[in-house]
Amino acid sequence: MRQLAGAALMLLLWALPVLAALAMLLPGAIDGEAWAALLQHPQLWPALALSLFTGSVSALLALLCTLIIAAGFYRSRYWAMLQQVAAAGLALPHLAFAIGFGFLIMPSGLMARILVGGEQPPQWVTTQDPLGLSLVAALVLKEVPFLFAMAWSVLSKGDAAGHLLGQSRAAASLGHGRGSIWLRIVQPQLLKRMAWPLVIVFIYGASAVDMALVIGPTQPPTLAVVVWQDLNDADLAHNARGVAGAMFLTIMLAAVLLLSFSFIALSKRARARFRSAGPSRLGLPKRLAFSLAAMIIAVTLGVTLLLVLMSSAPRWPWPVLLPPNHSLAAWETFHHASAPLWASLGLSLATSLTALALTVAWFETRPPQHDRWLLGLALAALALPQILIVAGQYRLFLLAGLSGTWAGLFLAHLTPVVAYVAIVLAGPYRAFDIRFAKVAQSLKAGPFRMWRLVKAPLLKGPLVMAAAVGFGVSMVQYVPAQMIAAGRIQTLPVEAVTLASGGNRALTAVYALMLALPPLIAFSLAALAGRPRWR
Amino acid sequence: MKLTRRALTSLAAASAFARPALADGWAAIEAEAKGQTVYFNAWAGADTINAYIAWAGEQLKARHGITLEHVKITDAAEVVRRVRDEVKAGKAQGSVDLVWINGENFHAMKEDNLLFGPFAADLPNFALVDIEGKPTTRIDFAEATEGLESPWGMAQLTFFGDGAKIGTPPAAMMELLDFAKNAPGRVTYPAPPDFHGTTFLKQVLVETIADRALLPMSIDAETFKKASEPLFEFLDQLHPSLWREGKQFPPSQAQVKQMLADGELLMALTFNPNEPANLVASGELAPSTIAWQHSGGTIGNTHFVAIPVNASAKAAAQVTANFLLSPEAQARKADLKVWGDPTVLDLMKLSSADAALFTGRTAPGAVAVPAPTIPEPHGSWVPLIEAAWLERYGS
Repeated sequence: MRQLAGAALMLLLWALPVLAALAMLLPGAIDGEAWAALLQHPQLWPALALSLFTGSVSALLALLCTLIIAAGFYRSRYWAMLQQVAAAGLALPHLAFAIGFGFLIMPSGLMARILVGGEQPPQWVTTQDPLGLSLVAALVLKEVPFLFAMAWSVLSKGDAAGHLLGQSRAAASLGHGRGSIWLRIVQPQLLKRMAWPLVIVFIYGASAVDMALVIGPTQPPTLAVVVWQDLNDADLAHNARGVAGAMFLTIMLAAVLLLSFSFIALSKRARARFRSAGPSRLGLPKRLAFSLAAMIIAVTLGVTLLLVLMSSAPRWPWPVLLPPNHSLAAWETFHHASAPLWASLGLSLATSLTALALTVAWFETRPPQHDRWLLGLALAALALPQILIVAGQYRLFLLAGLSGTWAGLFLAHLTPVVAYVAIVLAGPYRAFDIRFAKVAQSLKAGPFRMWRLVKAPLLKGPLVMAAAVGFGVSMVQYVPAQMIAAGRIQTLPVEAVTLASGGNRALTAVYALMLALPPLIAFSLAALAGRPRWR
Repeated sequence: MKLTRRALTSLAAASAFARPALADGWAAIEAEAKGQTVYFNAWAGADTINAYIAWAGEQLKARHGITLEHVKITDAAEVVRRVRDEVKAGKAQGSVDLVWINGENFHAMKEDNLLFGPFAADLPNFALVDIEGKPTTRIDFAEATEGLESPWGMAQLTFFGDGAKIGTPPAAMMELLDFAKNAPGRVTYPAPPDFHGTTFLKQVLVETIADRALLPMSIDAETFKKASEPLFEFLDQLHPSLWREGKQFPPSQAQVKQMLADGELLMALTFNPNEPANLVASGELAPSTIAWQHSGGTIGNTHFVAIPVNASAKAAAQVTANFLLSPEAQARKADLKVWGDPTVLDLMKLSSADAALFTGRTAPGAVAVPAPTIPEPHGSWVPLIEAAWLERYGS
């Protein structure tokens, strides 16, 4: 009974709307004419190559940076502080980061003003470079805090962290250096639990539209942008081609993931051989870790500062280093619209807490082997362009009389929020040592009591972090708010994105900062709550 | 209520014989409109526009008891999709009452019977519209509006840049070519299908095509191939001198405008002739900004408001459309300090007091010598131009 209830709610509130939305799109997905048109699109193959390149390279580089930083700082005295810093870095929305970062590196941007100066800006090929390298750089800088926060909660919280500590001590007494311990003991177990977050980072990097539009390549753009242009067209034939394109991109992403996972499975033996090799005195890349962390923090801080400056500068022409005049006009515009802020805050709080409850209920009542259905659907929900899923949901909600209602808006926001929360929580939650539960059971503690008194305190860090991630994800949802609310309810991202479409940089910066503030508070609280108690 | 009465008298004079019952009909519509809420779906990318719509809302509330809710959107295509889905699902009380629209979005809605009406010609203030001088108020991208949308404002392709840096601006595409060659890497245009980019291509087409008589006609792929040869010859010459040697293009007009403001480009383009003046007023562009149009004329059109077939408040939507056409609302909209969107009205048809509302003030950044408007080519040109451009320069 309990088993059924746990899954039923997840099915009803989350899986059903997602699956039904996908079913609504099925006729479009098998439209032969649309596929033929897609295959004739002159940008298809180069755009696909760009998408896969930016997605995979940014994910791998972000992982590499995260591992180096984690290795260098693991169990050092800065370890707890870094978590707070990563949490702050998480809060800045992707689009806001891209705008600030773009202004840093573009030919007329701050870097060029400092390094080159002169009458006219240099003709650098930085933003919108044909290979998408600036997009990759922005993605890496933005995703390292996310991956680090995930790594941190695996390494510092719950019983798994305790096991790692014990094993590390054992290895040290066998003569392994700290670097060797990291590579042979800590990192393999860490990577196992970071697979899903890494998959999200890859999918995001390969399918992001907002960041790609600001600093990504244009002729051709990434495939996500090509698809997005088609889906936004008034022409039905282009829409159909867009649906086919979205399916195609999703299939390609799935193929890349499948290949990667089979490669990892094949390399199992080689990795085991490496792990069981004799002791080595290998040290930790402390200096590299320090410089990497310092650079990422400096860029993120710089970008935030640039956004603050931009928000009060109507104009910031070449070659001056500071805006020539200030105006609070953009802030005043924001001040007039406080209702959307409250709507967004309430909605994000409700969706993140609901998502947390649904996910915990699932993990508590379903066996781990059922997780693949949950996580598979979650990944599909994140990999397919949101405009498609929401279009399906809109049709569904129309029939159910939910369009333009709070309930509809809530369900539509729940789609990405549950997906993120489930993926973020799966690793740490499933790593929980079942023996704790057995002990509790033998002491005649009921399941709820056991969860409240034993499990929740031990998993507090990941739980709070997952809720904060959910909150942050919900705060920046533009597409569902735009379509499902049908103009009846205004949220902050709708205001922000519609204003950004006009290109007023000051206003865009104001909204970017205001979109970042609530998640910043949420992540800081999560980081505080997640701090180990024994320190 | 002065406004309505004046409008009614002028209407009565214009069509007293044709529609004797109209005045009564309109009074009934106004009565029905009272207390209704109009969800006006309109692009909200500019503060000035949002403030103007908020003002219109206050006026409608005070004069007609109508609540105007501005539904902020980034692209009217979103609305087309939403209405299409609603109608397909049989939703009679739709979410959209009024939409800001023109061009291909209008065509799509008209073709799929998603629009209420005809209603435009029955609006009392429609009698004031300059239908002879501004034929695009009834012909939207070479497609007859048939009263399914009511004109709201005028648009015309306009270029702008910093007068302190560029001296004499290019007054034709051939001059633009020289201009770009003299300043390599400092000129560009947004990549189509951004509609500013597409409009730039149409402008090149108009200035280079051998036989202009083809433009208002539906075109087939064969004829297009031949007729567009000079267009692509010109672009082949122009591109090497553009930003990033014409291998990359910014995705939107907003970005081109920002790159001009930052100093990376020497010129940008817009569809609202008064946008440069507006940007100077808000401090986003230098006070030395100048705006210009090609002396032989530039592509222009009209933007409209339309009522979806399933609108919930059709009466109030019509009253709103009528208010937006009133001399007072049109004059305020045309004011450079408010929005600067050119009027669709014929000032000669207005009373002298109303005409005086349009002060014609000039401001830094305003177009010095307005050029004639060239109507949009027939809608069938657009997909062909975009596809051919993508084929040649897309990757």
